[in-house]
Amino acid sequence: MVDLLTELVMGTTPIVTEETRPFWDATVNEELHVQVCDECGARQLPGGPCCSRCWSMTFHWERASGRGQVFSYTIVRHAFHPAFADDVPYVVADVELDEGPILTTNVTDCPVQAVRIDMEVEVHFAQEVNDPFGSLLRLPLFRPIA
Amino acid sequence: MSIGYETAVVGVGNTKFGKVAGVSAWRHQVEAVQLALADAGLSKADLDGLFTESQFTEPLLLHGHVLGQMLGIKPAYLSTCSIGGATAISLVQQAAMAIHHGLCNVAVCVYGDNPKTGFPALFGKVQMGRGQADSLAFGMAGGPVMEARSAMRYKHDYGVTDEMFGAVPIAFREHASRNPNAQYRDLLSMQDYLGSRMISDPLRMLDCCIGASDGAVAVVVTSEQRSADCRKRPVYIAGFGAANNLDGLSDPTHYTSFAGKRSSSTAYEMAGLGPDDVRVAQWYDCFTSTVLITIEDYGFTGKGEAGPFALEGNLTLRGRLPSNTSGGMLSEANLTGWNALAEGVRQVRGESTSQVDNASVCVVSGHGGFQASHATLLLTEATG
Ligand SMILES: [Zn+2]
Repeated sequence: MVDLLTELVMGTTPIVTEETRPFWDATVNEELHVQVCDECGARQLPGGPCCSRCWSMTFHWERASGRGQVFSYTIVRHAFHPAFADDVPYVVADVELDEGPILTTNVTDCPVQAVRIDMEVEVHFAQEVNDPFGSLLRLPLFRPIA
Repeated sequence: MSIGYETAVVGVGNTKFGKVAGVSAWRHQVEAVQLALADAGLSKADLDGLFTESQFTEPLLLHGHVLGQMLGIKPAYLSTCSIGGATAISLVQQAAMAIHHGLCNVAVCVYGDNPKTGFPALFGKVQMGRGQADSLAFGMAGGPVMEARSAMRYKHDYGVTDEMFGAVPIAFREHASRNPNAQYRDLLSMQDYLGSRMISDPLRMLDCCIGASDGAVAVVVTSEQRSADCRKRPVYIAGFGAANNLDGLSDPTHYTSFAGKRSSSTAYEMAGLGPDDVRVAQWYDCFTSTVLITIEDYGFTGKGEAGPFALEGNLTLRGRLPSNTSGGMLSEANLTGWNALAEGVRQVRGESTSQVDNASVCVVSGHGGFQASHATLLLTEATG
């Protein structure tokens, strides 16, 4: 119990929820999925209880291409959370997927100073981890398209 | 009947800011409440509305209940609000509305904390972005990492230079140098700015507000009629507005323009005023980029023109729009926008340590909640 509470306060893994479970389940198979509204076709991330555009509560999840462009980014040079002390400098980027939604993620596999707005990137997946309640997931990361 | 000019700020109180060891967040809050009521010439018995924002060091639900009980009051109206950096302005608006509709007569709005010397402020620092969005997993920890992506896009789209960002903290520090309660008072040069450590590109240390400050601010709000009996000249709440873009950085249009555009136009309309009438501004200055984008959203310059406007010295007392005249959160103290509110009242009264001539209209902005929430206050010397 104490371990779980400590993890909830200090941990950094995502917490898989009812709304986000289809997204994270797909990452285990190295697939990136987006929520698609059955009524109006809007695509959204993160997953929600309804379509944020038309409020329809019927939707499905679709595999995305895994490609997109860097809409904006920053090079983080100061670790505001102790878990990232060994990672600085690293890039936090907002990747606009070809399917529309913007995903906050990391750009990896290139020098931090090489990242640019509008850079073409593609998804890859980090090592499998458990969330605090035991759900498996893999973080979707992005790298420049060679 | 419009609510514009129907209520007024009649009291303002603040504690010492900065490093104040051995004083709890609660004690700071109580001290600010007492100072604000005394400033208004009012007392505990007059107080029938309490509007609070919880401290971060001992975060709890029902903050207003606890503080109200400590103060030994049984207010008619009680509200505790949490919409990030827009909370201070939002609470003043709520107080004005409650008073206007007869739900209370004399309201105190208050916030205080002691993250510099008290408990570590875990809430809001560590736990940013876990749960629904899960961006903490990608190292999206800390306000600068959030704001930097907006700043990066803003610089990219409008050719904003490092020096334009630098003009903001240099101007605010000049104001802070005359404010004995400011945490940082040494004048800054452009060389100081350009040499300051990069925190999260393109934001340097000097682009970011002070990390932690102990202290508290309280203001007293009452009706226009009641304000005539108070100790000092009332500062009228001429207009206010609020707007939220809850998509934040999921919305590609929200990187270089915020909800301040809608919020300010509501406030201008309520007051029957426009940017040309405003003599002095107190911006929510969590980051320099936020200040520049807000100046554009409020119509003081065209899109992408706030940088050159700042670089020409327009944010100093010698310029068109003296801003953050107590030093703001960049130099005076990080009271999550509450110190900007206090300074706005002081300017209109003529009590600032960096007083603007004829500060007849002051605008104050609140901005926060991962950049999603915005609130605007127009304070005036004259009734409508
Ligand atoms: Zn829909």
